[in-house]
Amino acid sequence: MLRLEDVNLFYQKNNHVLKNISFETQKEEILGIIGLSGAGKSSLLKTFNLLQRPSSGKIFLDNILITDLKKKELRQVRKQISVVFQNYNLLNSRTVFENVALALELEHQKFIEPTVLNVLEKVGLSHRKDAYISQLSGGEKQRTAIARAVVTNPKILLLDEPTSALDPKTTEKILDLVLYVNKELGITTIVVTHEMEVIKRICDRVLYLKDGTIKFLGQTHRLFIEKDSQILEDFYEEINIDKELINQKLEKKESHLLRIVFWGSSTHCPVISTLSLKYSVTSNILYGKIEHLKNNPYGTLILEISENPNYSDFLNELKKNVYFCEELTGGGK
Amino acid sequence: MIEELLKATIETLYMTFFSTLIAFMAGLPLGILLYLLSKKKDHASKIIYTFFDFIINIFRSIPFIILIILLIPLTKLIAGTIIGANSAIVSLSIAAIPFMARLCENSFNSLSHEMLDTASSMGMTTWQLITKVLIPESLPEIISNTTILIINLITYTAIAGAVGAGGLGAMAINYGYQRFRADILLYTVSILVIITQLVQFAGTLLSKRLRR
Repeated sequence: MLRLEDVNLFYQKNNHVLKNISFETQKEEILGIIGLSGAGKSSLLKTFNLLQRPSSGKIFLDNILITDLKKKELRQVRKQISVVFQNYNLLNSRTVFENVALALELEHQKFIEPTVLNVLEKVGLSHRKDAYISQLSGGEKQRTAIARAVVTNPKILLLDEPTSALDPKTTEKILDLVLYVNKELGITTIVVTHEMEVIKRICDRVLYLKDGTIKFLGQTHRLFIEKDSQILEDFYEEINIDKELINQKLEKKESHLLRIVFWGSSTHCPVISTLSLKYSVTSNILYGKIEHLKNNPYGTLILEISENPNYSDFLNELKKNVYFCEELTGGGK
Repeated sequence: MIEELLKATIETLYMTFFSTLIAFMAGLPLGILLYLLSKKKDHASKIIYTFFDFIINIFRSIPFIILIILLIPLTKLIAGTIIGANSAIVSLSIAAIPFMARLCENSFNSLSHEMLDTASSMGMTTWQLITKVLIPESLPEIISNTTILIINLITYTAIAGAVGAGGLGAMAINYGYQRFRADILLYTVSILVIITQLVQFAGTLLSKRLRR
């Protein structure tokens, strides 16, 4: 487990890059770190294995205070935190096999070959093991980099923008591979990205970094419910919402507008129609969307409910039956 | 005459080979040292780097013929005499070491700067960084740079020849220039051209082979 306590980083005196960062990874999770360019994501990632030493604060790996370690001990700790760099940084003088074997050679391990072949099989590169790096496609390079990172069976896997250089289809395959590796090998994984798609697809939890501070840390679906929609506006474009229409309706105040979120079991029940019948209210769908967060359905609905004497009873029961429900009021977004 | 040409050719090759060898063996480690120092952020490393940088620049700015003269005491100490191929190797090597160091430093600098981060994140020792990353990754570059060095040294041997080192350069001056034997001048220069072409050809081929 990786734990940061009150980590601060300054580049020069007045460039405060990371501000009081504290968090802890959970066992075998995939944690996404998202933020815009310049938010401090890469700097934060580099502090995890002290490639970038923080100006102040403590960093622990499994309760070992690594910020205090000597050079030699730090080398050992670094072997337990594997990094997949944005540019892969593979060795051109070596084949795929030799690149993956490199991490094991450092340890003077015997029986390198079966271990490497096993990992190459897992990442789907067995057939390319004798190819040189310059002969690989972007996706294959990324697979090699991931294989090299996990071959030592590390405690933590760090991925820096793993899909930023890949096309959509390859991105999907690489994300599947990250999920598979995380599940199969049980390695706690931290992904730095600026793409919300990556967060949605693979992350259990999200850390949202803005101007060097943590603006949000929690389960992925909670991020989407956050009322502070500013977090989402940076990334998550619910462009489909007809904001003008909703604002008009809010101003007229002739009806109630509800934002409803379905998550987990509530996505499978016909809650709205059952309750509409029960309380004889009429509802009009202004916006609806279902997407998947790590294969769990997540639905958003904006409903217009016309004025009705049963409205408050309807709302109370609705709140009990859906994951999240809020009444939209004027003046908001 | 052919015998003398042959002897001069062998002398030239002898001087070039051994000064290259010494330059390589001393210049490569020095280049590695320069590269590693330049990447460190602490104050002491910066000062040491600046010092080495300064010394190398001085040696590289002294014209070779002057360097030979300045090195006479050292040459006497090492080779026992200031005449002949062995003496020339002393000044040739000393001229070539800083050049080689600089060429190697440049080769390493052309690697992705993230390579160092990768190596440290994998927990490599400095020795592992040098033997597993720096040298193998920049080998094609080092080979082409060594080719440049060798060709430079071949022309330097000719300069050294003017002050008693022997070799093709000396022969060109003694016979061709001082005794007006244009034919010998032509022969010696032709041999120098052929050697240079062969070295360049071999260097390019090897470097290409190693580039993946």
